[in-house]
Amino acid sequence: MPSGTDLSSPFVAPGLTVALCVLAAVGTMLALPGRTKTQSLRIAGGGMMALALVATMMLMIAGAGRAIGSVHYVYFWIFSVVAIVCSARVITHRQPVYSALYFVMTVFASAGLFVLMWAEFLAAALVIIYAGAILVTYTFVIMLAAESSGSGLVSRLAGGRAPVPEHDAVSREPIVASLTGFGVLGALIFVIFDRAKAIQPYGYVTKSPAVEQSGSIRDLATYLFSHQIVSMQIAGLILTLAMVGAIMIARKRVLLSDDEAEVIIADELTAPNTPVDDNPHSISVQGEAGPRSRKLQNEIASLD
Amino acid sequence: MPNFPQVALHHYLLVGAIMFVLGLIGFMTRRNLIIIFLCTELMLQGVAITLIAFGAYHGNMGGQVFTIFVLTIAAAEASLALGLIVLLYRARHNVDASAWRKLKG
Repeated sequence: MPSGTDLSSPFVAPGLTVALCVLAAVGTMLALPGRTKTQSLRIAGGGMMALALVATMMLMIAGAGRAIGSVHYVYFWIFSVVAIVCSARVITHRQPVYSALYFVMTVFASAGLFVLMWAEFLAAALVIIYAGAILVTYTFVIMLAAESSGSGLVSRLAGGRAPVPEHDAVSREPIVASLTGFGVLGALIFVIFDRAKAIQPYGYVTKSPAVEQSGSIRDLATYLFSHQIVSMQIAGLILTLAMVGAIMIARKRVLLSDDEAEVIIADELTAPNTPVDDNPHSISVQGEAGPRSRKLQNEIASLD
Repeated sequence: MPNFPQVALHHYLLVGAIMFVLGLIGFMTRRNLIIIFLCTELMLQGVAITLIAFGAYHGNMGGQVFTIFVLTIAAAEASLALGLIVLLYRARHNVDASAWRKLKG
Protein backbone atom coordinates (compact mmCIF):
# COMPACT_ATOMS: atom_id res chain seq x y z
CA MET A 1 0.00 0.00 0.00
CA PRO A 2 2.07 2.96 -1.17
CA SER A 3 1.50 6.11 0.75
CA GLY A 4 1.32 9.22 -1.39
CA THR A 5 2.02 9.47 -5.06
CA ASP A 6 5.66 10.09 -5.75
CA LEU A 7 7.00 10.34 -9.23
CA SER A 8 10.69 10.90 -8.52
CA SER A 9 12.89 8.42 -10.27
CA PRO A 10 14.93 6.05 -8.12
CA PHE A 11 17.00 5.08 -11.04
CA VAL A 12 20.77 5.17 -10.66
CA ALA A 13 22.62 5.88 -13.91
CA PRO A 14 23.81 2.60 -15.49
CA GLY A 15 27.36 3.84 -16.03
CA LEU A 16 27.62 4.60 -12.35
CA THR A 17 26.27 1.15 -11.49
CA VAL A 18 28.88 -0.52 -13.68
CA ALA A 19 31.65 1.60 -12.19
CA LEU A 20 30.62 0.74 -8.63
CA CYS A 21 30.34 -2.95 -9.48
CA VAL A 22 33.80 -2.93 -11.04
CA LEU A 23 35.22 -1.16 -8.01
CA ALA A 24 33.64 -3.66 -5.66
CA ALA A 25 34.76 -6.58 -7.84
CA VAL A 26 38.38 -5.40 -7.80
CA GLY A 27 38.14 -4.87 -4.06
CA THR A 28 36.76 -8.38 -3.56
CA MET A 29 39.50 -9.88 -5.72
CA LEU A 30 42.10 -8.20 -3.59
CA ALA A 31 40.42 -8.97 -0.30
CA LEU A 32 39.92 -12.71 -0.82
CA PRO A 33 42.67 -14.77 0.80
CA GLY A 34 45.52 -15.58 -1.54
CA ARG A 35 48.98 -17.04 -1.65
CA THR A 36 50.94 -13.91 -2.46
CA LYS A 37 48.75 -11.34 -0.82
CA THR A 38 50.14 -9.29 1.97
CA GLN A 39 47.92 -8.05 4.72
CA SER A 40 47.97 -4.47 3.47
CA LEU A 41 46.80 -5.56 0.03
CA ARG A 42 43.83 -7.34 1.56
CA ILE A 43 43.02 -4.31 3.68
CA ALA A 44 43.19 -2.16 0.54
CA GLY A 45 40.74 -4.53 -1.13
CA GLY A 46 38.44 -4.28 1.84
CA GLY A 47 38.70 -0.50 1.66
CA MET A 48 37.64 -0.53 -1.98
CA MET A 49 34.62 -2.67 -1.19
CA ALA A 50 33.69 -0.31 1.63
CA LEU A 51 34.09 2.66 -0.70
CA ALA A 52 31.75 1.08 -3.23
CA LEU A 53 29.23 0.42 -0.47
CA VAL A 54 29.40 3.98 0.82
CA ALA A 55 29.04 5.38 -2.70
CA THR A 56 25.96 3.21 -3.25
CA MET A 57 24.54 4.43 0.04
CA MET A 58 25.10 8.07 -0.90
CA LEU A 59 23.47 7.60 -4.28
CA MET A 60 20.43 5.95 -2.79
CA ILE A 61 20.05 8.56 -0.05
CA ALA A 62 20.33 11.29 -2.65
CA GLY A 63 17.75 9.66 -4.89
CA ALA A 64 15.24 8.97 -2.14
CA GLY A 65 11.59 9.65 -2.71
CA ARG A 66 9.58 12.48 -1.24
CA ALA A 67 7.31 10.45 1.02
CA ILE A 68 7.95 11.07 4.68
CA GLY A 69 8.83 8.05 6.68
CA SER A 70 9.90 7.44 10.23
CA VAL A 71 13.15 6.69 11.95
CA HIS A 72 12.95 3.23 10.34
CA TYR A 73 15.16 4.74 7.66
CA VAL A 74 18.12 5.16 9.99
CA TYR A 75 17.66 1.67 11.41
CA PHE A 76 17.46 0.27 7.90
CA TRP A 77 20.84 1.72 7.01
CA ILE A 78 22.44 0.56 10.25
CA PHE A 79 21.22 -3.00 9.87
CA SER A 80 22.01 -3.20 6.16
CA VAL A 81 25.54 -1.88 6.47
CA VAL A 82 26.27 -4.25 9.35
CA ALA A 83 24.82 -7.17 7.39
CA ILE A 84 26.78 -6.42 4.22
CA VAL A 85 30.08 -5.72 5.95
CA CYS A 86 29.81 -8.86 8.07
CA SER A 87 28.91 -11.03 5.09
CA ALA A 88 31.93 -9.63 3.24
CA ARG A 89 34.03 -10.63 6.24
CA VAL A 90 32.49 -14.10 6.18
CA ILE A 91 33.87 -14.77 2.74
CA THR A 92 37.24 -13.07 3.16
CA HIS A 93 38.42 -14.19 6.57
CA ARG A 94 41.09 -16.87 6.63
CA GLN A 95 40.01 -18.74 9.71
CA PRO A 96 36.74 -20.68 9.58
CA VAL A 97 35.74 -19.95 13.17
CA TYR A 98 35.76 -16.23 12.48
CA SER A 99 33.69 -16.80 9.35
CA ALA A 100 31.08 -18.59 11.43
CA LEU A 101 31.06 -15.81 14.05
CA TYR A 102 30.73 -13.09 11.43
CA PHE A 103 27.85 -15.08 9.99
CA VAL A 104 26.15 -14.98 13.39
CA MET A 105 26.47 -11.19 13.25
CA THR A 106 25.00 -11.20 9.75
CA VAL A 107 22.05 -13.23 11.00
CA PHE A 108 21.42 -10.74 13.80
CA ALA A 109 21.49 -7.81 11.36
CA SER A 110 19.20 -9.72 9.05
CA ALA A 111 16.80 -10.34 11.92
CA GLY A 112 16.80 -6.58 12.53
CA LEU A 113 15.81 -6.03 8.91
CA PHE A 114 13.00 -8.52 9.32
CA VAL A 115 11.68 -6.63 12.33
CA LEU A 116 11.63 -3.45 10.23
CA MET A 117 9.43 -5.28 7.72
CA TRP A 118 6.96 -6.35 10.41
CA ALA A 119 8.07 -9.97 10.41
CA GLU A 120 8.81 -10.26 14.12
CA PHE A 121 8.14 -13.97 14.40
CA LEU A 122 10.56 -14.67 11.59
CA ALA A 123 13.20 -12.46 13.17
CA ALA A 124 12.97 -14.47 16.38
CA ALA A 125 12.85 -17.76 14.45
CA LEU A 126 15.92 -16.73 12.48
CA VAL A 127 17.91 -15.96 15.60
CA ILE A 128 16.82 -19.14 17.36
CA ILE A 129 17.21 -21.52 14.43
CA TYR A 130 20.07 -20.04 12.48
CA ALA A 131 22.26 -18.42 15.10
CA GLY A 132 21.22 -20.74 17.86
CA ALA A 133 21.18 -24.13 16.20
CA ILE A 134 22.67 -24.22 12.73
CA LEU A 135 25.69 -22.05 13.42
CA VAL A 136 26.41 -23.78 16.71
CA THR A 137 26.44 -27.04 14.76
CA TYR A 138 28.80 -25.47 12.25
CA THR A 139 31.13 -24.36 15.02
CA PHE A 140 31.13 -27.87 16.46
CA VAL A 141 31.99 -29.36 13.10
CA ILE A 142 34.77 -26.80 12.62
CA MET A 143 36.15 -27.87 15.96
CA LEU A 144 35.84 -31.58 15.16
CA ALA A 145 37.28 -31.30 11.68
CA ALA A 146 40.17 -29.06 12.65
CA GLU A 147 43.35 -30.09 11.02
CA SER A 148 46.04 -30.60 13.62
CA SER A 149 48.80 -31.80 11.35
CA GLY A 150 49.59 -28.33 10.02
CA SER A 151 50.77 -29.63 6.68
CA GLY A 152 50.95 -27.48 3.59
CA LEU A 153 51.78 -24.33 5.47
CA VAL A 154 51.60 -21.38 3.16
CA SER A 155 51.33 -18.11 4.96
CA ARG A 156 51.85 -16.82 8.40
CA LEU A 157 49.85 -13.81 9.41
CA ALA A 158 51.75 -10.69 10.38
CA GLY A 159 52.57 -10.50 14.06
CA GLY A 160 53.35 -14.17 14.41
CA ARG A 161 49.87 -15.50 14.92
CA ALA A 162 48.96 -19.14 14.40
CA PRO A 163 49.78 -20.59 10.99
CA VAL A 164 46.86 -21.10 8.66
CA PRO A 165 46.48 -24.31 6.62
CA GLU A 166 46.77 -23.95 2.90
CA HIS A 167 43.18 -24.62 2.03
CA ASP A 168 42.07 -21.67 4.13
CA ALA A 169 44.80 -19.32 3.07
CA VAL A 170 44.36 -19.71 -0.68
CA SER A 171 41.19 -19.15 -2.65
CA ARG A 172 40.37 -20.71 -5.99
CA GLU A 173 39.88 -18.44 -8.96
CA PRO A 174 39.13 -15.18 -7.15
CA ILE A 175 39.17 -13.16 -10.38
CA VAL A 176 36.64 -15.22 -12.31
CA ALA A 177 34.44 -15.62 -9.23
CA SER A 178 34.40 -11.89 -8.47
CA LEU A 179 33.67 -10.93 -12.05
CA THR A 180 30.87 -13.49 -12.31
CA GLY A 181 29.40 -12.48 -8.98
CA PHE A 182 29.46 -8.78 -9.65
CA GLY A 183 28.20 -9.34 -13.18
CA VAL A 184 25.18 -11.04 -11.63
CA LEU A 185 24.89 -8.15 -9.17
CA GLY A 186 25.02 -5.61 -11.97
CA ALA A 187 22.21 -7.39 -13.78
CA LEU A 188 20.18 -7.63 -10.57
CA ILE A 189 20.72 -3.94 -9.77
CA PHE A 190 19.64 -2.95 -13.25
CA VAL A 191 16.47 -5.02 -12.99
CA ILE A 192 15.68 -3.76 -9.48
CA PHE A 193 16.05 -0.12 -10.37
CA ASP A 194 14.38 -0.49 -13.72
CA ARG A 195 11.36 -2.13 -12.14
CA ALA A 196 11.45 0.39 -9.32
CA LYS A 197 11.25 3.18 -11.86
CA ALA A 198 8.31 1.48 -13.54
CA ILE A 199 6.30 1.13 -10.32
CA GLN A 200 4.37 4.36 -10.10
CA PRO A 201 3.91 5.43 -7.43
CA TYR A 202 6.91 4.08 -5.53
CA GLY A 203 6.88 0.62 -4.08
CA TYR A 204 6.79 1.12 -0.38
CA VAL A 205 7.03 -1.61 2.18
CA THR A 206 4.27 -0.95 4.66
CA LYS A 207 2.13 -2.79 7.14
CA SER A 208 -0.72 -4.76 5.62
CA PRO A 209 -4.26 -4.10 6.95
CA ALA A 210 -4.54 -7.57 8.49
CA VAL A 211 -1.37 -6.92 10.42
CA GLU A 212 -2.77 -3.59 11.59
CA GLN A 213 -5.83 -5.31 12.97
CA SER A 214 -4.67 -8.50 14.57
CA GLY A 215 -0.90 -8.53 14.67
CA SER A 216 1.53 -10.23 12.39
CA ILE A 217 1.89 -13.55 14.20
CA ARG A 218 -1.83 -14.19 14.10
CA ASP A 219 -1.95 -13.26 10.45
CA LEU A 220 0.99 -15.51 9.67
CA ALA A 221 -0.52 -18.44 11.54
CA THR A 222 -3.88 -17.96 9.83
CA TYR A 223 -2.26 -17.92 6.42
CA LEU A 224 -0.01 -20.87 7.19
CA PHE A 225 -2.70 -23.12 8.57
CA SER A 226 -5.35 -22.26 6.02
CA HIS A 227 -3.36 -22.14 2.81
CA GLN A 228 -0.17 -24.06 3.33
CA ILE A 229 -1.13 -26.99 5.51
CA VAL A 230 0.14 -29.64 3.11
CA SER A 231 3.49 -27.87 2.74
CA MET A 232 3.79 -27.82 6.51
CA GLN A 233 3.31 -31.56 6.75
CA ILE A 234 5.86 -32.10 4.01
CA ALA A 235 8.31 -29.80 5.76
CA GLY A 236 8.00 -31.86 8.92
CA LEU A 237 8.58 -34.99 6.88
CA ILE A 238 11.68 -33.48 5.30
CA LEU A 239 13.07 -32.59 8.70
CA THR A 240 12.57 -36.16 9.90
CA LEU A 241 14.23 -37.50 6.77
CA ALA A 242 17.17 -35.16 7.21
CA MET A 243 17.61 -36.17 10.82
CA VAL A 244 17.57 -39.88 10.03
CA GLY A 245 19.82 -39.33 7.04
CA ALA A 246 22.39 -37.35 8.98
CA ILE A 247 22.58 -40.03 11.66
CA MET A 248 22.93 -42.76 9.04
CA ILE A 249 25.63 -40.91 7.13
CA ALA A 250 27.93 -40.05 9.97
CA ARG A 251 27.50 -43.22 12.00
CA LYS A 252 30.48 -45.16 13.26
CA ARG A 253 30.35 -48.71 14.49
CA VAL A 254 32.71 -49.52 17.34
CA LEU A 255 33.76 -53.16 17.86
CA LEU A 256 35.50 -54.53 20.90
CA SER A 257 37.69 -57.57 20.49
CA ASP A 258 37.85 -60.14 23.27
CA ASP A 259 41.49 -60.21 24.34
CA GLU A 260 42.63 -56.72 25.03
CA ALA A 261 39.34 -54.80 24.79
CA GLU A 262 40.85 -53.07 21.81
CA VAL A 263 38.56 -50.70 20.05
CA ILE A 264 38.24 -51.33 16.34
CA ILE A 265 36.34 -48.72 14.43
CA ALA A 266 34.58 -50.07 11.39
CA ASP A 267 33.08 -47.95 8.71
CA GLU A 268 29.50 -48.99 8.26
CA LEU A 269 29.14 -47.58 4.80
CA THR A 270 31.96 -49.46 3.11
CA ALA A 271 30.69 -52.95 3.95
CA PRO A 272 27.71 -54.20 1.98
CA ASN A 273 24.84 -55.27 4.16
CA THR A 274 23.57 -57.99 1.87
CA PRO A 275 25.73 -60.30 -0.20
CA VAL A 276 26.00 -58.75 -3.59
CA ASP A 277 24.68 -61.13 -6.20
CA ASP A 278 23.60 -60.35 -9.70
CA ASN A 279 20.55 -62.55 -9.43
CA PRO A 280 17.73 -60.23 -8.37
CA HIS A 281 15.90 -63.15 -6.73
CA SER A 282 18.77 -63.84 -4.37
CA ILE A 283 17.61 -61.12 -1.99
CA SER A 284 14.38 -62.16 -0.42
CA VAL A 285 11.61 -59.62 -0.40
CA GLN A 286 10.26 -60.62 2.97
CA GLY A 287 13.60 -60.27 4.74
CA GLU A 288 15.43 -62.97 6.59
CA ALA A 289 14.68 -62.75 10.24
CA GLY A 290 11.12 -61.73 11.03
CA PRO A 291 8.52 -64.21 12.26
CA ARG A 292 6.44 -63.69 9.16
CA SER A 293 9.31 -64.55 6.84
CA ARG A 294 10.16 -67.62 8.88
CA LYS A 295 6.58 -68.77 8.62
CA LEU A 296 6.68 -68.20 4.88
CA GLN A 297 9.91 -70.12 4.52
CA ASN A 298 8.46 -73.00 6.52
CA GLU A 299 5.44 -73.05 4.25
CA ILE A 300 7.64 -73.04 1.15
CA ALA A 301 9.80 -75.81 2.59
CA SER A 302 6.74 -77.88 3.45
CA LEU A 303 5.46 -77.58 -0.13
CA ASP A 304 8.51 -79.38 -1.58
CA MET B 1 13.61 15.27 14.55
CA PRO B 2 14.30 15.74 10.83
CA ASN B 3 12.03 14.22 8.22
CA PHE B 4 13.34 10.88 7.07
CA PRO B 5 12.42 9.39 3.71
CA GLN B 6 10.45 6.20 3.69
CA VAL B 7 12.19 2.91 3.06
CA ALA B 8 11.13 1.57 -0.32
CA LEU B 9 11.06 -1.91 -1.77
CA HIS B 10 14.19 -1.52 -3.83
CA HIS B 11 16.27 -0.77 -0.75
CA TYR B 12 15.56 -4.20 0.68
CA LEU B 13 15.95 -5.89 -2.68
CA LEU B 14 19.36 -4.34 -3.10
CA VAL B 15 20.52 -5.55 0.30
CA GLY B 16 19.24 -9.04 -0.46
CA ALA B 17 20.96 -9.04 -3.85
CA ILE B 18 24.29 -7.92 -2.40
CA MET B 19 24.19 -10.60 0.29
CA PHE B 20 23.29 -13.23 -2.28
CA VAL B 21 26.15 -12.24 -4.57
CA LEU B 22 28.67 -12.16 -1.71
CA GLY B 23 27.58 -15.67 -0.77
CA LEU B 24 27.92 -16.72 -4.40
CA ILE B 25 31.46 -15.39 -4.61
CA GLY B 26 32.44 -17.07 -1.36
CA PHE B 27 30.92 -20.35 -2.54
CA MET B 28 32.90 -20.35 -5.75
CA THR B 29 36.12 -19.21 -4.16
CA ARG B 30 36.81 -20.88 -0.87
CA ARG B 31 38.34 -24.31 -0.54
CA ASN B 32 37.28 -25.24 2.95
CA LEU B 33 34.17 -27.45 2.68
CA ILE B 34 32.64 -25.96 5.80
CA ILE B 35 33.01 -22.41 4.49
CA ILE B 36 31.48 -23.46 1.17
CA PHE B 37 28.34 -24.60 2.96
CA LEU B 38 28.36 -21.50 5.14
CA CYS B 39 28.27 -19.38 1.99
CA THR B 40 25.30 -21.42 0.82
CA GLU B 41 23.53 -20.36 4.00
CA LEU B 42 24.53 -16.77 3.27
CA MET B 43 22.86 -17.02 -0.13
CA LEU B 44 19.72 -18.29 1.56
CA GLN B 45 19.81 -15.27 3.89
CA GLY B 46 19.81 -12.90 0.92
CA VAL B 47 16.90 -14.76 -0.61
CA ALA B 48 14.99 -14.60 2.68
CA ILE B 49 15.35 -10.82 2.87
CA THR B 50 14.05 -10.50 -0.71
CA LEU B 51 11.11 -12.81 -0.01
CA ILE B 52 9.98 -10.95 3.09
CA ALA B 53 10.34 -7.58 1.35
CA PHE B 54 8.09 -8.72 -1.46
CA GLY B 55 5.62 -10.21 0.99
CA ALA B 56 5.38 -6.95 2.90
CA TYR B 57 5.12 -4.98 -0.33
CA HIS B 58 2.19 -7.04 -1.59
CA GLY B 59 0.53 -6.96 1.80
CA ASN B 60 0.07 -10.67 2.35
CA MET B 61 1.89 -13.27 4.34
CA GLY B 62 3.11 -15.40 1.45
CA GLY B 63 6.64 -14.07 1.70
CA GLN B 64 6.96 -14.88 5.37
CA VAL B 65 5.48 -18.34 4.91
CA PHE B 66 7.89 -19.09 2.10
CA THR B 67 10.73 -17.91 4.32
CA ILE B 68 9.65 -20.32 7.04
CA PHE B 69 9.96 -23.12 4.56
CA VAL B 70 13.32 -21.83 3.33
CA LEU B 71 14.54 -21.87 6.94
CA THR B 72 13.28 -25.42 7.37
CA ILE B 73 15.01 -26.67 4.26
CA ALA B 74 18.17 -24.77 5.18
CA ALA B 75 18.25 -26.54 8.54
CA ALA B 76 17.73 -29.95 6.93
CA GLU B 77 20.36 -29.24 4.31
CA ALA B 78 22.85 -28.00 6.89
CA SER B 79 22.51 -31.13 8.97
CA LEU B 80 23.00 -33.41 5.98
CA ALA B 81 25.88 -31.34 4.63
CA LEU B 82 27.70 -31.36 7.95
CA GLY B 83 27.21 -35.12 8.23
CA LEU B 84 28.76 -35.52 4.81
CA ILE B 85 31.64 -33.22 5.75
CA VAL B 86 32.37 -35.28 8.85
CA LEU B 87 32.40 -38.42 6.72
CA LEU B 88 34.67 -36.86 4.12
CA TYR B 89 37.00 -35.61 6.82
CA ARG B 90 37.28 -39.12 8.19
CA ALA B 91 38.32 -40.42 4.81
CA ARG B 92 41.06 -37.93 4.00
CA HIS B 93 41.71 -36.12 7.27
CA ASN B 94 41.37 -32.66 5.86
CA VAL B 95 38.44 -30.52 4.82
CA ASP B 96 40.04 -29.31 1.62
CA ALA B 97 37.75 -29.44 -1.40
CA SER B 98 40.72 -30.13 -3.67
CA ALA B 99 41.48 -33.37 -1.79
CA TRP B 100 38.60 -34.80 -3.81
CA ARG B 101 39.85 -33.53 -7.14
CA LYS B 102 40.03 -37.06 -8.49
CA LEU B 103 36.25 -37.17 -8.53
CA LYS B 104 36.31 -34.64 -11.35
CA GLY B 105 35.38 -36.28 -14.62
